Amino acid sequence: MKRYLIVLSLLVVAGTAAQAKEHPGKAYIEKNGYQGPSTCESKGCHPGTAKKFLGTVHWKHSSRVDNVDNVEPGKEYGMKNRIYTMCNGNDLVNNLKEIPPNPKTGKTKFTGCNTCHPGNHISDVGSTGKDAENAIDCLVCHSPAYDYRLRKPYKDEIGRVVMGQDRSVKAAIAVGKPGVKNCMVCHEAAGGGVLLKRGFSYTKETDVHAAKKMVCVDCHGAKDHRIPTGYDPNNWANDGVRVACPDCHGEAPHKDEDNNRHAVRIACQTCHIPRTGGALAKDFTKWTQGSDGFYEPTTLRMEANETAPAYAWYNRTVANTPAFIGPKGSRADKESRIYPFKLYEGKAFFDRKTGQLLSMDFAPPMATGDTLAGVASAAKTLGIREYDPVPGWQTIYFGSNHLVTKEKALSCANCHAQNGVLNFRALGYSEEEIRKLTSAGIYFDKMAAKQKEEW
Amino acid sequence: MKRYAIAFMLFVIVVAAAGFLSPGAASADEIKLVGVITKIEIAGPDATTASATLKDNKTGELVTVIVNDDLTLDKFKDHRIVVGDEIRLKYEVKDGKNISKYFRKTAGC
Repeated sequence: MKRYLIVLSLLVVAGTAAQAKEHPGKAYIEKNGYQGPSTCESKGCHPGTAKKFLGTVHWKHSSRVDNVDNVEPGKEYGMKNRIYTMCNGNDLVNNLKEIPPNPKTGKTKFTGCNTCHPGNHISDVGSTGKDAENAIDCLVCHSPAYDYRLRKPYKDEIGRVVMGQDRSVKAAIAVGKPGVKNCMVCHEAAGGGVLLKRGFSYTKETDVHAAKKMVCVDCHGAKDHRIPTGYDPNNWANDGVRVACPDCHGEAPHKDEDNNRHAVRIACQTCHIPRTGGALAKDFTKWTQGSDGFYEPTTLRMEANETAPAYAWYNRTVANTPAFIGPKGSRADKESRIYPFKLYEGKAFFDRKTGQLLSMDFAPPMATGDTLAGVASAAKTLGIREYDPVPGWQTIYFGSNHLVTKEKALSCANCHAQNGVLNFRALGYSEEEIRKLTSAGIYFDKMAAKQKEEW
Repeated sequence: MKRYAIAFMLFVIVVAAAGFLSPGAASADEIKLVGVITKIEIAGPDATTASATLKDNKTGELVTVIVNDDLTLDKFKDHRIVVGDEIRLKYEVKDGKNISKYFRKTAGC
């Protein structure tokens, strides 16, 4: 019954989307042109939306965080100011700018963490007021006809670095619900390359939801541009709204009660996202020179679906130390479930005196490979006068919440075997329990009956 | 007879070594390169195929590939991928044509 309701809902959504192709105001925009948010808010449409948007994570790149260790209460965290070893910079220290010329080629280029911020860089991360409202690039998320050639940084007549926008009538009259590409244009390139950071692709080949033609906002559906997110241990900033599989699928989604019983202590992702991918490890202390003369952090890349996840108990609170960012939880903690994680290790400079990770401005090392110059530039921006940089490693557990599969989901024998994917010992089970849990005796009769039924 | 057997073995070794040493060859029929796009040809918004020419960073040679996958075609159409972008490419040679199997920008943020 529930499945029919979901299908019916999807049909309704699809029908609504089809109707939404003719967005009201087309004639007005064709006649008056598109000036940005002021056009969206004119004629009584979308009043106050721009001002509200300035309070969201997509504009502020930060929020209050209430589930992470070792953060200052009341302070906001996010890509605006966080440091970790997938992105050793942030919007503050690695602000969008033109990097110094490469000594060999004399060439320069624009780079910075806030390249994806949906403003014009003059009104930047967390800015407020009328100028900020007018700077919002609504169409980069809402238009399927956006010309991405126009979203490039350039220097204006007084030398400020400005991020271009497509404010053409063509893009504006195509406005609608964000499609996958509107989200992925930023989200797929995070962490220094395509599909590196979170290690998933969202295509019909790699995700069952994409195969059903669902788009990102079908699950991450926003209200007032506050976008629901899950509990990725390394994605702290949130708009105060959350999304999880049971929101659509319910708490007991399987026909088989044994599977539903598993769901009490095992997250859906554990069985339904058996693979992960993306960057395995990065070294921010030694950058690699490319053929264009510029340098990039040395990175070990894997494809989506190319690596196996790590499994751990997770109660949706996060351990946060210089050496480790990842899930907290245990078998004894009834709030914990077993989740899969994308395991990542990053090497960067730490302060020998405090043990804290040091951040990096990418401009100096990108031009010359001098990574300590990047640390020095970031320290200057942050007002850190004394530090003693020493290389070290940090382990990060990223949430693994995409690449969802039904057909290739883990089944009994994948875990309940002596060479199964779960390390029951590390998960807190006794030797006697492990003997039982890794024996075919646990599922033999049931699978034998099913096999007989199928063949 | 023995002479033919030795000649055959030598032939096998030479062929195997050529395949093994062939630059950029990830497998017998897949070639990898990183290069900058010098030309994209696509026939309109409904095109189901396109060709892209890349200048191989290592050899400087121009390589033209046929691109058929929807995702990359869409990126050509809305200019998320443009001339000047550096690309990580894998392709196969089929019937004398280079067919793209993997076409990703190297850049990120």
